Amino acid sequence: MTEPTELVLVVEDELAMRRFLHAALGTRGFRVVEAGTLREAEVAASETPPAAVLLDLGLPDGDGLRFLAKLRAWSTAPVIVLSARGREEDKVTALDAGADDYLTKPFGASELLARIRVALRHARARLAPEDPLVVIGPIRIDRARHEVTVDGELVHLTPIEFKLLAHLAGHAGKVVTHRQLLMDVWGPRSAQQTHYLRVHMAALRRKIERDPARPRWLATEAGVGYRLRDD
Amino acid sequence: MRVTRPARYLPGVLGVACATALGVATGISLADDVMLYLFAIMLAALGGRGPGIAAAALAVVAYDFFFIDPRYALSVDDLRNVMTFAVMFAVGTAMGSLVAALRRRERRTAALLAFTSQAASATTTAELDAALTAHVRELTGGRPRDELDRDLRSLIDAIERQAGVANARIRLAADARDAALRAQAEELRSSLLSTVSHDLRTPLAAITGMATALRESEGLTAEQVEALDTVVDEARRLGEILSNLLAITRVESGAALRREWVPVEELVGTALGRTETALAGHDVAIELERDVGVVVDPVLTELLLLNLLENAGKHTPAQTPVEIRARRDDGGVAIEVSDRGPGLPPGPEPQVFEKFFRGPDARVAGAGLGLAVCRGIALAQGGRIEAVRRDGGGATFRVWLPGGDPPAVEAEA
Repeated sequence: MTEPTELVLVVEDELAMRRFLHAALGTRGFRVVEAGTLREAEVAASETPPAAVLLDLGLPDGDGLRFLAKLRAWSTAPVIVLSARGREEDKVTALDAGADDYLTKPFGASELLARIRVALRHARARLAPEDPLVVIGPIRIDRARHEVTVDGELVHLTPIEFKLLAHLAGHAGKVVTHRQLLMDVWGPRSAQQTHYLRVHMAALRRKIERDPARPRWLATEAGVGYRLRDD
Repeated sequence: MRVTRPARYLPGVLGVACATALGVATGISLADDVMLYLFAIMLAALGGRGPGIAAAALAVVAYDFFFIDPRYALSVDDLRNVMTFAVMFAVGTAMGSLVAALRRRERRTAALLAFTSQAASATTTAELDAALTAHVRELTGGRPRDELDRDLRSLIDAIERQAGVANARIRLAADARDAALRAQAEELRSSLLSTVSHDLRTPLAAITGMATALRESEGLTAEQVEALDTVVDEARRLGEILSNLLAITRVESGAALRREWVPVEELVGTALGRTETALAGHDVAIELERDVGVVVDPVLTELLLLNLLENAGKHTPAQTPVEIRARRDDGGVAIEVSDRGPGLPPGPEPQVFEKFFRGPDARVAGAGLGLAVCRGIALAQGGRIEAVRRDGGGATFRVWLPGGDPPAVEAEA
């Protein structure tokens, strides 16, 4: 299901965690390079550019965000942050600094693999010409014609709702922070106005979801942002 | 508290004596002599009203005795001389009063100044109170307020006003110090929490990870799969207890919370998404008033709902319904989670919200933290929570949170 040659750089100081990540990824055909410190991570990344990075934020020689900043200077490889602190602020900071997704410890092997697959798929899609048509479950988004259908039925969205959905669809499967959505849909002036987002997301859910109180597709990541599920 | 010091009278006596001696020795004119006496009176009056009047009296007597006919006798027969005496008295009295008033004012300014500087350097209210008492006692000599003259009373009023200002300053400074201390304590606590959280979550993550990775491998027997599932489930439970512990520490510390308007629908949706396992086999009915939202910390409030739902899932038999309702109520929003389980344990309801409280059914695993977390989160956000027995069996947990209508957003073109 995945190319066996793809290299994942695991930046994690806990040996037990590294063992688990290595085992989970190795059996699914990924090659794994391990790094226990920021320095090792920098050396490993420059020697063989990874296809994806799993990054723990609390490293013995500094904050994982420093590695992220350096990596982003030359690489667009997806970075998934492994957060143990469980603080939403840390996740948001990492995502806004260029991380692609996050996993809160503890997490299972299947969750990990699902996130990596989504991240790699987006990384590959970046290279390909953008398809104006996105299909997620029963939702069909035609970005060229500004049309959305659910189960084949046309849904009337306001321009803001359409922009929101289109942005989320462009990052399907990945979390998008409040800030990223606000910047994209409303512009930098409104980067703090999360209530705009909440009001319009509620309206969008009512039009897209069968039961908006139990969303199947438009998931909320409390304190972080939203995720359009694609599984 | 005016002290009569004989020394103050000395210039007057000496001045009058000199003027007399000069007049007698040189035999100058009466008018010149009067001028000399007036000069002596003015000099004496610099010592205050008493010395001024005393010098005037002395001068009148000396002038009468030595210069007015009949000389060397205290008698007056010319009206003009009486006028001279009167002028001498008037000058002595007026000058003396003027000087006395000036002195008094100066003394009071000095007293006020002394108190102000002492009040400015006071760092505690006790210190300030001591300074105030000491100064007032010194000024009044311990006399009650209504026995004091108007000037002194207004001086004491001024001092008391100064004390009020100083008191406000001291309290502000103390508040600032307290706030700084609180911020420091908060910072320490939060870094401690994040360390503990990190240190506990990391091994937990390794356990969960390894077990799930192993679970995926081929050729496992049914027992092995079951064993691994147990490991994963228990590790997840441990993770939840950890989250609850962190949350309760956070809300009980009184740390400032993020407050935003969040639709109840969104909170319910996230909480339901995370309790799929716990509520599996239950029929969940949702009834939310349209557009109702709460002004809360979204992460903590989701945890509150999550705990209520987990609680319902854990303590009620499979197939029983769970109902979630939300409506505007009493200026805020009431969110209810109702079940048809065994209801509340006997005894007063609030005990279910106590930390580490366990129901009578000890078979149900738990740390007794879930509902305590719910109450902590509700209270920290200006809300409240209650548990009631339902008619027909079961329990309702009702949370009130501040909120209501959605905030105004710009209309779309």
